[in-house]
Amino acid sequence: MALDVLSIPKKIYRTLANLRTGVVLLILVVIASALGTFVLQRPVTEPDKLQAAYSPQTLRLLDRLTLTDIFHSWWFLSLLALVSMSIIFVSIERFPNAWRFFARPYRKTDSHFRSANPYKLELPIRQADQGLNAAERALEKLRWPVERIVDNGDTSLYAEKNRFSVMAVYLIHASLLLIFLGGIIDGVFGFSGFMAIPQGEQRNVIELKNGKTKQLPFSVQCKSAGQENYADGSPKRWWSKLAVVESGKEIEAKEIVVNDPLVYHGLRFYQASYWIDNKKVDGLRIAYSGMESTLMPLELRFNQPVNLDSETTAKLVEFLPDAFVRDGQVFKKTENLGNLAFALEVTNRADNSTTKIWLFPAEGNVVGAENVKFQFKNPTSAKDIDFSPVTGLEISYEPGQWFVWAGCLLMGVGLFVAFYMVHMRIWAVEVRDAQGKLVLWIGGAANKNKDRFEQKFSEVVAEIRNELDKSTPTGRPSVQQHSEHPVLTMVGTK
Amino acid sequence: MSTRARVTQIEPPAVTGGNALLILVGLGVAFLLITALLGAAKAGGNLFNESNLLYVALIFYAGAGALYMGFGVTGTAKYVKYASICTAIGFVANTLAVAHRWYLSGRPPFASIYEMLLSFVWTLALLTLVAEKKFGVKIIGSITMPLAVVCVILMQLLPSEVRPLVPALQSTWLHVHVTLAMLSYATCAVSFALAMMFLIKDSFSTESFLAWTSALVSGIYLGIVATRFERWGGLSVTAWDAQNKSDVFLGRGVRLFVTIPDLGWLFVIALLGALVPLALYFLARFRHNVSYLAVANKAVFVGIMLQLVVLGAFVLRTKDSTYASPFQDGLYPTSLAASPFMLGGMVAAIFASLLYLMLLWRRNDLQDLLPSGDTLDRVTYKTICIAFPLLTGMIATGAFWANRTWGSYWSWDPKETWAAITWLVYAGYLHMRVTRGWRGRRAAYFAILGFGVVIFTFLGVTYLLPGLHAYA
Repeated sequence: MALDVLSIPKKIYRTLANLRTGVVLLILVVIASALGTFVLQRPVTEPDKLQAAYSPQTLRLLDRLTLTDIFHSWWFLSLLALVSMSIIFVSIERFPNAWRFFARPYRKTDSHFRSANPYKLELPIRQADQGLNAAERALEKLRWPVERIVDNGDTSLYAEKNRFSVMAVYLIHASLLLIFLGGIIDGVFGFSGFMAIPQGEQRNVIELKNGKTKQLPFSVQCKSAGQENYADGSPKRWWSKLAVVESGKEIEAKEIVVNDPLVYHGLRFYQASYWIDNKKVDGLRIAYSGMESTLMPLELRFNQPVNLDSETTAKLVEFLPDAFVRDGQVFKKTENLGNLAFALEVTNRADNSTTKIWLFPAEGNVVGAENVKFQFKNPTSAKDIDFSPVTGLEISYEPGQWFVWAGCLLMGVGLFVAFYMVHMRIWAVEVRDAQGKLVLWIGGAANKNKDRFEQKFSEVVAEIRNELDKSTPTGRPSVQQHSEHPVLTMVGTK
Repeated sequence: MSTRARVTQIEPPAVTGGNALLILVGLGVAFLLITALLGAAKAGGNLFNESNLLYVALIFYAGAGALYMGFGVTGTAKYVKYASICTAIGFVANTLAVAHRWYLSGRPPFASIYEMLLSFVWTLALLTLVAEKKFGVKIIGSITMPLAVVCVILMQLLPSEVRPLVPALQSTWLHVHVTLAMLSYATCAVSFALAMMFLIKDSFSTESFLAWTSALVSGIYLGIVATRFERWGGLSVTAWDAQNKSDVFLGRGVRLFVTIPDLGWLFVIALLGALVPLALYFLARFRHNVSYLAVANKAVFVGIMLQLVVLGAFVLRTKDSTYASPFQDGLYPTSLAASPFMLGGMVAAIFASLLYLMLLWRRNDLQDLLPSGDTLDRVTYKTICIAFPLLTGMIATGAFWANRTWGSYWSWDPKETWAAITWLVYAGYLHMRVTRGWRGRRAAYFAILGFGVVIFTFLGVTYLLPGLHAYA
C-alpha cells in the first residue's frame, strides 16, 4: 500500500496539470463571474440601492456567502490562482516535448516515415543527384530555406518555414500569466481614490475606495476648473488646470480633461467630475451708487478690495448660503442654499472706519449700510454670482498595468503566430521504388491549414518538375508522367 | 429508433413556376422604393439622406430574406442567386447611410445603440457576401438577412438623432474598441449561421430542430410574460416621452411603466402556442410515436399565425396610445419606440419559426445547396479563428480606454465580465478542437453556445444588468 502512494505534492501537481481539471476550473470561474453580474456587488453599488433591491434577511445572507463581493472574495481569488497554476503546470508538462520538436523537427526519411507521411509524391529521375539538385533549385527559387542532411551516407533535403509557430501556444499562455501577474501586483500594491479640490486651493489627501485615506508627499493645486456645454446644455467637456506643488514650489502643471489625466510619480489624476460648491463664492457683480445717484457696476472678487472712490474701498469678505437676521446680527441658518447673504467690508481710509454690510438678494434688502455714503444694490440674477467650482479627481496608482499591457501585446503576437503562421516542412530524398527504379520522393507536412498547404505543396512539386525538365537533355521526355496529378493522400482527419 | 425516422411532412406547397416569386419580390421592392421616393420627394430635403438610405437597405434586405424564404417554400435554386444580389444592393445602400451619418456627425457611428446596430448590420451584410463568394456557403443569408431585418426594424424605432458625445466617449480608443466589437460580434454571428448550416447538412434531425426552435420561441415569450405580465392580464411597457424621444424616467435608471390591459393574455396564449410543439416533441420521444411530430409541425404553423396576431395586436395597441400606470396617477403615453427589444424578440421568434418550416419543407434541397459538412466545419473553425483575435482586441482596447477614462482597466463591470466569459467560451471551442480534436457536431454546438453568450453580452447585459457601460 505504501509503495503506490504518490507523495501529496506530486498528486496535486498531477491533478492541476490535467487538461480536464483546467476545464472544470474555468467553468467554475465562468459560473462565479456570471453570479457576480446577477447579484449586486458592494464595491460598485450604492448602499441604498442594495437595500432597495434585497430584503434585510436576503442581504445578510448574501453578505455572509460573500456573494456581494465575489470578485474580491477569497474563494474567487483562489480559483484564479488555481487556474494560473494549472496553466503553468500544463505548460511545464508539455513544453519539453514541444522544445524537443522545436530543436530538431527533422525526421529520418526511412521507408516507414515515407509511407506514413500524409503528403507525398514520387517523381522518376534519370541519374543520381539529379533529383536532389533539381529539388534544391526549385525550393530555393520558391524561397524555402533548404539544407542537405547526410545520414549514414544517404543525402536528403529538408526545407521548412515558420518553425516558431509551434511555440505560439506557450506564448499565448505566458501572456495570460503576465496579465494575471499585473492584476496581482495592482491588487496588492495599487490603489484608487478620490480627491475634490475647490478652485484656487490645494489638497494632498486622497480618500481611498476602501474608506481609508492616504497622504501624498506632494500637493495638487487646482488653479481653475470649468465646464463647456453643447448647444443643448449637455456637458461637452470638463477641464481643470492643475499643478503639482512640492515644498511650496510648482513642479508640474497640466490642463486635464476626461480621458487625458495628469501623471506624476506613477499616480494618475483623472478628471472625473465637476460641480459647483454652494458654500463658496469667488465673485459677485452688483451695482452701487454714491452721491450722484447714478448706478455704477461693481465687480467684486473674494477678498480683493475694489476702490469705490479715492478714499473708500469695498471687499467681498463672507458668504453664507442660508442666513437670518436677529437683533441686527446675521447668523448662519443652514448649510444648504436658501437665503443667500453676502458680506461686504467697506473701508474708509479717511476716518479709518470699517463697516460690514450684508446683502440679501432673495429679499432684496441691505443690512448695516446706514452710516455708509454709498448705496449698494443686490445682484439681480444668479448669473451675477460666481459660485466656486470644485473639481473631482479620480486617482489611481497601478504599477502592474505595464505587465497587463505587455501581456496583451504578447497575446496579440501569440494569436497571430498561432493562427496565421503555419509550420511547413518539405523533404526530398532519392530512393528506389517498388520496381527498383530511381525516383525522387517528395514529402510534406503542415501543422494547420492543411488545404492551403496542399496548394503550396503542389506549387513546390510543379517547380521541381520544372527543374527536372530543365536539367534533362532535350529530345527525351524526362519526367515520365505516371499520373498527371500527384498522389496526395491524407492520413487521419484534418 | 422510430423517432429518428424521417418526419412526415405536412403538405408542402407544390413547386410553382420558377419566376413567380421573383416577379412578386421584384414588384414589391419596386413598389416600396417608388412610394418611398414619392414620400421623400414630398417631404422635401435631401433625397439621399441617411434614413432614406437605411430604408432602401431595409427594403433590399427584406427582399433578400423573402427570396431565401421563397426558396424554402418552392425549392427554386435561382432564388438564392437573386437574394444574393438583393443583399449586395442593400449593402451598398447601407454603406452610403453609414457614410452620410459619419459625414454629418464628424465621427464614425458608434455612440448610441442606434449607431451600433447600424454598424452591426453593415458588418453582417459584408460578412454574408464574403461567406457566399469566398467560402461558397451560398445560403448563409437565410439566417443573416432575417437578423439584419430585425436589427433595421429595431433601428427605425430607436432615437436616431446625432447626439454629441458625453465627455467619457471622446477618445480614439473608443472607435477602435467599438469597431473591434462590431466586427467580432458579426463574425460570431456568421460562425453561428455556419454551425447551423453544418447541423442541417449533418442530418441533425429535423425533430431536434423543432424542439430547439420551439424552446427558443417559448423562451422569448416566457421572458416577456415573466417580466411584463401584470395582474390581471395586462402587459406593462415603458412609458414614452414623445417630445424628448426617450423613455420616461422616475429617477436615475428607474423607468415608468404603463399597463396595457388584456394584452398580457395574448402573450400567454402565444407562449402556450409555442410550448405545444415542444410538448408534442417530448411526447413523441417518450411514447416512441412519430405521429405526434406531424401534429407538432402543424402546431408550429398555427403558432406562427398566433404570433402574427399577437404582433399585430401589440403594434396596434402600443402605437402612440395612453395608458394608466401602477406607479403614479394619470395616463401616460407609450409608443413602439419604447419597447424595441420586445418587438425585436417577437419578430425574431417569427423568423425562427419560419426558418424551421423552411427546413421542414425543403431540407433535401437545402442540403444539396450546401457545401460538404467537412467544409462547413472547417469554415466555422476559420471564422472563429478570425473572431477570437478580434474579441481579444476588443477586450484589450476596452480595458485600455477604461483605464484612461475611469482610472481602472478592469472593474468587473457586468459588460466586461460577460465579454470575458464570451472570450473564455470561444477559447474553450478552440481548445477542444486543437487539443481534443472536437469536430463536427460537438464543435457546432459549442459555436452555437458561443453566439448565445454573445447575444447576452451584447443585448442582455445592457437591458437586464445596469452598470458603467450604460452607453450601449
